[in-house]
Amino acid sequence: MSKEGYTGPLEKIDECCWRIPKSYKPGMRVDGLIFADERLLQQVRADQAPEQVANVAFLPGIQSASLAMPDIHWGYGFCIGGVSATDPAEGGVISPGGVGYDINCGVRLMRTNLTLADVQPRLTQLIETLYRHIPAGVGTGGEYLFGGKEMQRLLAEGVRYLAERGWATPADIEHTEAHGSLPDARPDYVSRRALERGGDQCGTLGSGNHFLEVQVVDEVFDEAAARTMGLEKDLICIMIHSGSRGLGYQVCEDAINNLRKAPEKYGIRLPDRQLVCAPVESPEGQEYLGAMRAAANFAWANRQLLMWQTREVCAEFFGRTWEELQMNLVYDVAHNIAKMEEHEVEGRHRLLCVHRKGATRAFPPGHPDLSPRYQKIGQPVIIPGDMGRASWVLVGAEGSMKKTFGTTCHGAGRVMSRTAAIQHARGRRIDQELAQQGIIARCRNWKGLAEEQPAAYKDVSVVVDVVERAGLARKVARLRPLGVVKG
Amino acid sequence: MYEIIEHTADVGIRVRAASVNELFTEAARALFSLLIGEPETVRQTQTMSFHLVADDLESLLHDWLAELLYIFHVRRLVLHRFDVQVDDNRLAATVSGEPLAMDRHHVEVEVKAVTWHGLKVLHEGKQWVAEVVLDI
Repeated sequence: MSKEGYTGPLEKIDECCWRIPKSYKPGMRVDGLIFADERLLQQVRADQAPEQVANVAFLPGIQSASLAMPDIHWGYGFCIGGVSATDPAEGGVISPGGVGYDINCGVRLMRTNLTLADVQPRLTQLIETLYRHIPAGVGTGGEYLFGGKEMQRLLAEGVRYLAERGWATPADIEHTEAHGSLPDARPDYVSRRALERGGDQCGTLGSGNHFLEVQVVDEVFDEAAARTMGLEKDLICIMIHSGSRGLGYQVCEDAINNLRKAPEKYGIRLPDRQLVCAPVESPEGQEYLGAMRAAANFAWANRQLLMWQTREVCAEFFGRTWEELQMNLVYDVAHNIAKMEEHEVEGRHRLLCVHRKGATRAFPPGHPDLSPRYQKIGQPVIIPGDMGRASWVLVGAEGSMKKTFGTTCHGAGRVMSRTAAIQHARGRRIDQELAQQGIIARCRNWKGLAEEQPAAYKDVSVVVDVVERAGLARKVARLRPLGVVKG
Repeated sequence: MYEIIEHTADVGIRVRAASVNELFTEAARALFSLLIGEPETVRQTQTMSFHLVADDLESLLHDWLAELLYIFHVRRLVLHRFDVQVDDNRLAATVSGEPLAMDRHHVEVEVKAVTWHGLKVLHEGKQWVAEVVLDI
């Protein structure tokens, strides 16, 4: 492994798109395409992420191109910010590495009817109250425990099951990608180890880059779309970033173990063992998809329960019910997932297996999968930035269906390694630096804050600017962080 | 001997040792040095033994670290002593440590998984070298 930069070809297609031709490496079945502009290109070249884009182009059945969004950075196997679609009818494969260990890591945004003026005087107290009540940290279990049959239903039905238990409303379901419940989930394929490792973690934040953030709408770029989402300048929002916790990590681990011999069995040549895969239609492929869908449902339930606890904490804190505070879910998106979706390739509609690893679905207006509320404006896309600068709300645009299998970026993208970030933070107090900007940060360990300091990330606004110019998504609103709770 | 190597999103470890057994021991120490602060203060009140078999040495190193991670997350044991016997892609280990106690141990990062990306075990001259990327 090497932190050295990428020295291979990157041919300019236009201001926002660069090609790695399939002639770069024998074995590439399609080109690699990276969405970036001149400003980001230097960062794109700084590590081995483009090499990983080229490696993904080896996957059997891959369609059009191996894609990367402008928040691309070096991952393991697949790059982060990577998108690949395979056609099962052409021997297309599913690869657990194309989803990642944190299956259905994602983000949700909840709006409120509180304004900056309502919250600012009690901000520190609010953040500390959330910090005390929202379970977070490495391996931390939660208050919501599900017995054997309950867990089977949770894994099979996701947020729909929580609605039955009184922890989700029909509107919450309506405003979650895939309604918070992927069909054909197979709880029976989720191992005992996965349940042991994460079964008690539904409704917990975790650690690392996961967070709960109180934000204010700083600027609105599309009034009509913002109004449809219930957003306006100076309103308070809460963003939650978490995934499938230990359960999902173990599902991925188990799948990669099960697939060790699959490339040999199916005659698939791969440049990296982390890309291990099997045909979508094979028993091994179907087993992983069934378990992954169960883990994805667990992740949606996790974010739903995190939001539910946040509603309860805020109701207590402000002395009004969450309904009175109009704490409504704007949208929830997955950014580590594989889904079967219909897309047009070379003039033909095909059912493809779309892998998004650190990339977000961004369906345009009129897409049949969108809820009636969002039919006219397109799918809301929630893009967390870093804790010092900004986060964004976008909507999917037409170009996403033509260029990226209905996908856009997922965040800012790291630019500094975790070790470098800790080194960069030596002798500094990141929490105090943020406090000087008026941002209250509470974290269980200083290294966590150091790793996640704003300087460790690209400027999310540049990333968002590129996806808008590339026609993948449109800006709706920019959110400014006020306070953050981390594990 | 181990060192932490730069990786943008995750953490890599590079281990060097005079023997395969020592290589596996050092890789385990590197893992726990990331998981908790001051691992040298861990007491040895519990001991476990287990065996692993794999197709090759790299897979065996992966499985060894993944097993330790499982013990940490599920058995909630912080390990400090590792007696490892590696022989022909088989491993017999006795490990010891103590239950994770939030008042005594400072958990530093959540290691989600031991990845296969760039996984290497090499015999270079008189030295064994391994590289592993951990997803954090």
